[in-house]
Amino acid sequence: MNKRCINRRTLLKGIGGVAIGLPLLEEMLTSPVHAAKAPEIPMRAFNVFFGLGIPAPLQTEGFDGVLEPLKPLSDKLLIMRNVDQVRCDEAGSNAHYDGAAGAFTAEPPDGEARSGGPSIDQVIRQTHYPSGLPAGMVPTLVAGTFFRRSRVGRYVHSYNMDGTVAATIQEKPRQLFDRVFGRVALTGEDSTARDRRIKRSVLDSVVEEYRFYKSTRSPLGSASKSRVADHLDRIREFEQRAFAMQRKSEDAPKLPPRSEVPHGGPADPGGEGIDITLDELSSEWRLLADLYALAIQMDRVRFGALTFLAAGERIRLTGDYEYDGKKVFEFNDSAQHDATGSKGCSHEWWHQFNPKKRNEALRAHAHMKMREVAYFLHLLSGKDAIEANGRTILENSLISISTESGDGRHNDVKRELSGVFHAISSGGGRFKTGQIMDVGAEGLDVYNTMLAAMGTKHRLGPAGREMQKIDSIRA
Amino acid sequence: MSTTYPSNRPPLAYLLFALIPVLVTNPLIAASTSPSAARVASGLQVQYDFRGSGGKVEDRVRSNQRLHLQIIKPNSLTRREGSIETAGKSLIRSAKPATRLVEIIRYAEEVSVELWLQPEKTSRQDAMNVFSLSDKNGNTHNLRVFQEEDRFLVELMTDNKSKGRYPKISTTPGSVTNNLIHFVFTHDRTGRARIYLNGELNVEKHVVGSFNQWSKNRFVMLGGTKRAWSGSYHLAAIYSRDLLPREVRSHFEFGPSLEKMAGEQPRDALLLKNQTMFDRHVAPLLVKRCFECHDTNTKKGGLDLSRKDAAAAGGESGPTWVAGKVDESLLWQYIESDEMPVDREPLTKTEKSRLRDWIEAGAAWSVDVIDPLVYEGVGEDTDFWIRRLTVDEYINTVRSAVGVDIEEEARRLLPPDVRADGFNNTAYNLTVDMQHVESFSRLAEMIVQRMDVMEFAGQFTEHTSLSTDDTMRDDVAKVGKWLFRGPLTNREITNYSGIATLIASAGGDFEEAISTIVEAMLQSPRFLYRVENQSGDGTVWPAGAYELASRLSYTLWGGPPDRELMRAADSGALFERIEVAAQVSRMLDDPRALGRSKQFIFQWLDLGRLNNMRPNAERFPTWNAELAEDMQQETLAFFEHVVWHEQRPLAELINAQVTFATPRLAKHYGLEVRDDKLAQYDLSEIPRRGGLLTQGSILTIGGDEASMVSRGLFVLHELLRGSVKDPPPNVDTNAPPTKEGLTQRGISESRIANTNCGGCHKKFEPLAFGLEKFDGIGAFHENDEHGNKLRDDGAILFPGTTEPIPYKNSAELMDLLAKSERVGESFTWKLTQFALGRQLGPQDAPTVRQIHNTARKQGGTYKQLMTAIVMSDLIQMTPTEKVE
Repeated sequence: MNKRCINRRTLLKGIGGVAIGLPLLEEMLTSPVHAAKAPEIPMRAFNVFFGLGIPAPLQTEGFDGVLEPLKPLSDKLLIMRNVDQVRCDEAGSNAHYDGAAGAFTAEPPDGEARSGGPSIDQVIRQTHYPSGLPAGMVPTLVAGTFFRRSRVGRYVHSYNMDGTVAATIQEKPRQLFDRVFGRVALTGEDSTARDRRIKRSVLDSVVEEYRFYKSTRSPLGSASKSRVADHLDRIREFEQRAFAMQRKSEDAPKLPPRSEVPHGGPADPGGEGIDITLDELSSEWRLLADLYALAIQMDRVRFGALTFLAAGERIRLTGDYEYDGKKVFEFNDSAQHDATGSKGCSHEWWHQFNPKKRNEALRAHAHMKMREVAYFLHLLSGKDAIEANGRTILENSLISISTESGDGRHNDVKRELSGVFHAISSGGGRFKTGQIMDVGAEGLDVYNTMLAAMGTKHRLGPAGREMQKIDSIRA
Repeated sequence: MSTTYPSNRPPLAYLLFALIPVLVTNPLIAASTSPSAARVASGLQVQYDFRGSGGKVEDRVRSNQRLHLQIIKPNSLTRREGSIETAGKSLIRSAKPATRLVEIIRYAEEVSVELWLQPEKTSRQDAMNVFSLSDKNGNTHNLRVFQEEDRFLVELMTDNKSKGRYPKISTTPGSVTNNLIHFVFTHDRTGRARIYLNGELNVEKHVVGSFNQWSKNRFVMLGGTKRAWSGSYHLAAIYSRDLLPREVRSHFEFGPSLEKMAGEQPRDALLLKNQTMFDRHVAPLLVKRCFECHDTNTKKGGLDLSRKDAAAAGGESGPTWVAGKVDESLLWQYIESDEMPVDREPLTKTEKSRLRDWIEAGAAWSVDVIDPLVYEGVGEDTDFWIRRLTVDEYINTVRSAVGVDIEEEARRLLPPDVRADGFNNTAYNLTVDMQHVESFSRLAEMIVQRMDVMEFAGQFTEHTSLSTDDTMRDDVAKVGKWLFRGPLTNREITNYSGIATLIASAGGDFEEAISTIVEAMLQSPRFLYRVENQSGDGTVWPAGAYELASRLSYTLWGGPPDRELMRAADSGALFERIEVAAQVSRMLDDPRALGRSKQFIFQWLDLGRLNNMRPNAERFPTWNAELAEDMQQETLAFFEHVVWHEQRPLAELINAQVTFATPRLAKHYGLEVRDDKLAQYDLSEIPRRGGLLTQGSILTIGGDEASMVSRGLFVLHELLRGSVKDPPPNVDTNAPPTKEGLTQRGISESRIANTNCGGCHKKFEPLAFGLEKFDGIGAFHENDEHGNKLRDDGAILFPGTTEPIPYKNSAELMDLLAKSERVGESFTWKLTQFALGRQLGPQDAPTVRQIHNTARKQGGTYKQLMTAIVMSDLIQMTPTEKVE
């Protein structure tokens, strides 16, 4: 890793002036970054999800409306309207969930924690790294700031080829930090060479067993083998941390601050929603976004997903919302709805959306979401994110931004799932940018066109389905 | 030569087993698993019955890769219908090398050879070749059956030669007679080799080594170029799996002739194929595309496609189809012309073609009534996921295996198992992250540190000093067998023994070696996962003895087999259903079964939700974390009382007139406090409460507003296994708040009266009418906060019926639900889903129905239901994935 990375980390600041402390391992700093080893830019793909969506009529307002925060990035993004995800509708299941499961997969769910197919990032990963990513790299990083969690598909947005979740989601900044940069203490600090040799032997024996069960001689079926293969990948990563990366950097500062917002069960009290201030929400998200972006910048991760608020999220938000130095709105969902519990949540603004009305609260919430998504994208497009070819990470990678619905009223599948907002970065110059496009195509065809451009042979959707190429999005 | 049929009678245990009422088998595969004389098809690779004439002996296995035999040397060979008699000079050999057969056996590491044969001589001085997988000239063999003196022997090529010789197994002296003999050799992947004669076990031996070195260039050979055996062959078959004792006996009773199967098999196979077509494609299609207008409720044009008889009879236009005659079938005519579905997308080309194929093939139904929930969302394929131990199971397994309580550390370090599809043990979602790997490593280290390793090792060996010779291998094998819940392969023994070698070279001792080996084993796939054989020929195979032991223990206890269960697996007792039934009975009397059942109820009702509830504090000032915990305790204690102490049918959980409350909860419920701790309350005089639905743990599902929608959907989904579609277009789903003159009931009735909403809402909201008097946190009121009088009367519409049944109050609603067959079935479905760790699909429906019927006839208690589940094919059998 070159020195520039250290500069990056010292520059990264969380909201409220909280400096992110990074007890980096020396190996991460001194060993050449994988991208730096070879002059070529690595293949990367990330899915960025935000909950509840943007009603289609508001998308037509372009950067004058709720999309305003994306305007500074407009030359690096292709904003796609009118993308149809109707095929993701699953009779009898929640529309938020259907739309969320279809984001980045274009397929309906296949269970509460399983999508009907792989997500874009994983298809690209499988194509370009069929034997796994370089040693020590996090194979897939899934993270997010979210609260509602009744179904995994509401907040996880990276799916394996078999539709299962690609990685456990990291929802606390500290968790994310540990997952990417943490050191594994396999033995005590004072362990001897003999101890380490024995530990190595234990791990070797264990690895041998996992290798056998994923091999062609395994008695397991294909789904089980893929699970064992996942386990083996994680062991190898663990092995790398335990044996190859052990020297703590001298200037290792403190861990990121403890999260102040609820996580786990308390974050979703019986589906009734939580009270949270805008400051709490943004601080948490931005800390997570900083760490995720840093992981990409340091080439510790090349694939994964990041979630800002779950599908059908239920929060009762309070606080002044400012943008560009001006107060835009005062969030106070519960009071504005004159209701408590789930009925007092911002979610209800979407249910009440009426294109003939002002929808002031919904607009403010959607605008705020775009502001926070843009925050993450800026981290990948600033000076610190410029790579060897002179372009930024945002330009060199495929960053897909999507959501769950094009309406929010979830009482009409066609309206709900036929105008879903999408945006993508150029994927290394493969896609047009700098425009807002009415695509008017099925999500499956849009995603498959993206995959074709990224060099994958695998296509999403039913086998034998004739793909419609959406050439209009190709550069 | 006389063909004296052997006179062995079926053993007593076998007859007893036939009387066990708990036997539940899937009718779709009953032909291959019935205890009555039948031949099994699973794992069958080649089969010769010697019918026909000329120089070819046909392989009777129906596949496109049949391996026929050729009579190479017809010298002194007499061919009769159903047998071939040789005089020691003939050679019969497969027409080509048995490459695929060898590959499959090598992969499976299991094999069975079955012969019906009649020796010419009861004693031969030389080793005479009977049957083999040999090179073209019969000089080298992967496997060879031969007669020497008055015994049969099997020589098996493995990668473990001893003194330059491959292992052999021999029958007892005098076992070769002049009679027609049924000979079966079996070998499983743990190395257990057996020979059965006339249905009875004659000899058993442990054969070390794998089939890795088996050559693919081997032929199926009868007799040989040298020292060919003389006698008559009546049947020869090879399986790529270890036939179970009961299957061997069944084959023996079936006899040597396959003729009686010949006429039946195609018809059965055709029916099975057509029913499978129905389950996989047609029923889901009817549910998705037709039921909107043609189920029992809607029945447009008088046509109800949800019931077999009604569907066949048709509606106002006449019979729906003519089986086998697609062009005369109204259903097809309407579909083909796209007249149906009305105002909906026409069926796709694939859907049409499937429907057409099904009618042409006979339009068979596998069920009498299509349950929409079974067929909704059915995918094309079913994956069989290996099951990682859940955190609960890991804790139990460590405790049972090495006697260490690691609960506190495991819960702290391991990521929690995330709930999916209603339970936390859904196999596809038991994924692994690096935190798991790191935690398993740290936990293994902690566990070993807390163990008395020498005392642990003393259970398996007398050794106390480190040796890296065979004694260490024996020790590794014994320790490993216990920790891995089944024997180790040679490869595994070698792998773990390597650790001992390293410890020895590093100057360590026996204790350190065992500690380190245990530490490695605790992180291995066979400890952390329930590893089972899943590969085969795509058919359903019986679970192996150790697999079955683990299935029983994890299903009934949520932990590993105990020593008694392992002994039963060792002895082969688990191959006998009567023995399995005895084990199940013993296990259900063990306290671990209670613990497991509580995990079920906790997860099913999502009781953990209570820990996080935060109702509006102004509205519900009495709510606090302690009250939430009391509600959890109430439901668990109530469950234990009804299910375990009273041994009542599970359906009585809905209306039992008893509960358990702390003083705080009793006060919350308006009960007279009778104790200072959790105590039992008789509710027979308090009809408003009684049963799960009247407990705070369930009532809180409605949220602050005590939503009739949420509560009604809970009853519909969880107790009635019903489903409803999404709301229709352009409807505001935001209900108005209650006010003076407008109750939740009133709002609900408005929704039901609305033509856009009522079609679905009438199916589930009335299910919650009886609960209106309970507020968002389960307190009882006669009037709401606005002073409106509340009601608890209503009417319930059971799925699949057309007439709602009225109820006067909450107590009557509970009685209706408790007596409902549908509710009883839902308990069976939920418990079976929990047992299997996966959602159930149409392929499971016939077996689940039989489980339910079996348990219900016996009383419908938890024990009876669990017995029926574990004795069913869903636990006893394993679907295999075809090895290509």
